[in-house]
Amino acid sequence: MRDADIIERIQRELGGKVAEIANPAPRRFYLKILPPDLVPATALLRDRLGMTHLSTISGVDKGETFEILYHFSIPEADLNLRTEIPKDKPHVASITPIIPGAILYEREIQEMLGLTVDNIPDGRRLLLPDDWPDGQFPLRKDWKHVRPAEVIPGGKS
Amino acid sequence: MKFQIPIGPQHPALKEPISLRMTVDGEIITDADIRLGYNHRGVEKVAEAKNWIQNIYLVERICGICSHSHSTCYVQGVEKLMELAPPKRGMYIRYLVSELERVHSHLLWLGVAGHEAGFDSFFMYVWRDREIVMDLLELISGNRVHYAINTVGGVRRDLDEGQKAKILEGVATLRKRSEYYLHIGANEPSFVARIAGVGFLSLEKAIALCAVGPTARASGWPRDVRKEDPYAVYDEMDFEVGTADSCDVLGRVVVRVKELLESYKICEQILHKLPPGDIAVKAPRKAKPGEVVSRYEAPRGENIHYIKSNGTDKPERLKVRAPTLGNYPATVEMLKSGFIADIPLIFASIDPCICCAERAVSLVNIRSGEETIVRLSDLRRRSIEQHKNAPPKRNAVWPF
Repeated sequence: MRDADIIERIQRELGGKVAEIANPAPRRFYLKILPPDLVPATALLRDRLGMTHLSTISGVDKGETFEILYHFSIPEADLNLRTEIPKDKPHVASITPIIPGAILYEREIQEMLGLTVDNIPDGRRLLLPDDWPDGQFPLRKDWKHVRPAEVIPGGKS
Repeated sequence: MKFQIPIGPQHPALKEPISLRMTVDGEIITDADIRLGYNHRGVEKVAEAKNWIQNIYLVERICGICSHSHSTCYVQGVEKLMELAPPKRGMYIRYLVSELERVHSHLLWLGVAGHEAGFDSFFMYVWRDREIVMDLLELISGNRVHYAINTVGGVRRDLDEGQKAKILEGVATLRKRSEYYLHIGANEPSFVARIAGVGFLSLEKAIALCAVGPTARASGWPRDVRKEDPYAVYDEMDFEVGTADSCDVLGRVVVRVKELLESYKICEQILHKLPPGDIAVKAPRKAKPGEVVSRYEAPRGENIHYIKSNGTDKPERLKVRAPTLGNYPATVEMLKSGFIADIPLIFASIDPCICCAERAVSLVNIRSGEETIVRLSDLRRRSIEQHKNAPPKRNAVWPF
């Protein structure tokens, strides 16, 4: 399949569910999808295009919004699904029911960016320690690491 | 009645800090739960505060075995962002190191698989041969683990004719040995009996759980980034994607040995075709705003970096997904309905990382407390000298 054929195929299968398709380099596609269409669009692409392999999910803090990218690949192309959610109401739907391998990546963005993945089958912490304070999200741009004061048991002598 | 057994984060059977919680019914595992983060270093956050060049050496330190794969994946993405065209000779050298790294990583894994299966002579044979490729990597880059050969726009060290001849010689030796290991790995009855049928991962599950690399290929899913998304020099190379359809640890051994043989083929092609010319072009300090997804076939599977730039000399976001994370959901599936005794073998079969870089030995004089650093070659020379005048040893005689 050539790149133009893939664009045409995606537009035919998804119809109005894809807001924008960009093809900046050979084999690389960026699909802009509105948050409510994310789950149906992923399901359609999986069933019709065989898009089963999720490489990872990246989250970017863009100030007012979070941009979430789902990096999928099929043997002919790399499809990156992009969606944007507002920072004051950070909710995104879980794609784990459709792509079971997404679970660890969803748990990761949830704790690192401080957003809520709705309907996630297992929303526990994955990477941060158990005693990590609530409301601290390391990958947000306004989060700065402050090294905690060293406590020496018994005091310094 | 259900029992939960915690294994890790520190456990003699596992070399990596990871916590596995096994729900068991007698000897059989019914469920497994993974908790990560014991080795989380916040590399993605640190990368946002460092410039493009500093980050090469930061991402190289993500892994102690496939260090070159992270730096290559990052560098080839940054080159796209900066719209650089690295010279051909530089690219050939970069991917020669990639293939040699794959060889050393797979040999290391084969040894570990032999060790976990209780076949320690296999482990010793394989790790002896791994020294050949480690020496070749040191010959090219000056280092055994963190090669630091990549830079934005090419590589930092050139190859000469003498080095080329030595690499070809080493690769020829390794090929002979690897063919022998393929024969042993697939035919030695006690070894095969230990690994066949262990850690079963069906093709459907491998696809659904997004398994990558040799783990997926051993379940009969022939996906390799080098083949399907041929980056840099791989469209000029002639090689096959090794697969197996037994879906178990035996399949993963076979796939990795097949990949070794293909890597030797690629190394030889690279060296025979090595074009003359420069090895690097000068890179700008800043990159234009943009984003790029860089994929790379690391020894353990697909490695992916998402790099976003904002027009300054630092990245806006660097997202790294190492292949092992992609294989964890599949590992949980493999552990289910297996035996407790198979945990190390199954966990090792996705290839965990162990680091080894020490060569200098520190000797302490007990009487004076004085410390001296001695090279291994000196140590060998000293021992030969010391034992030169010792009486010859006779063979042991059975006392009858």
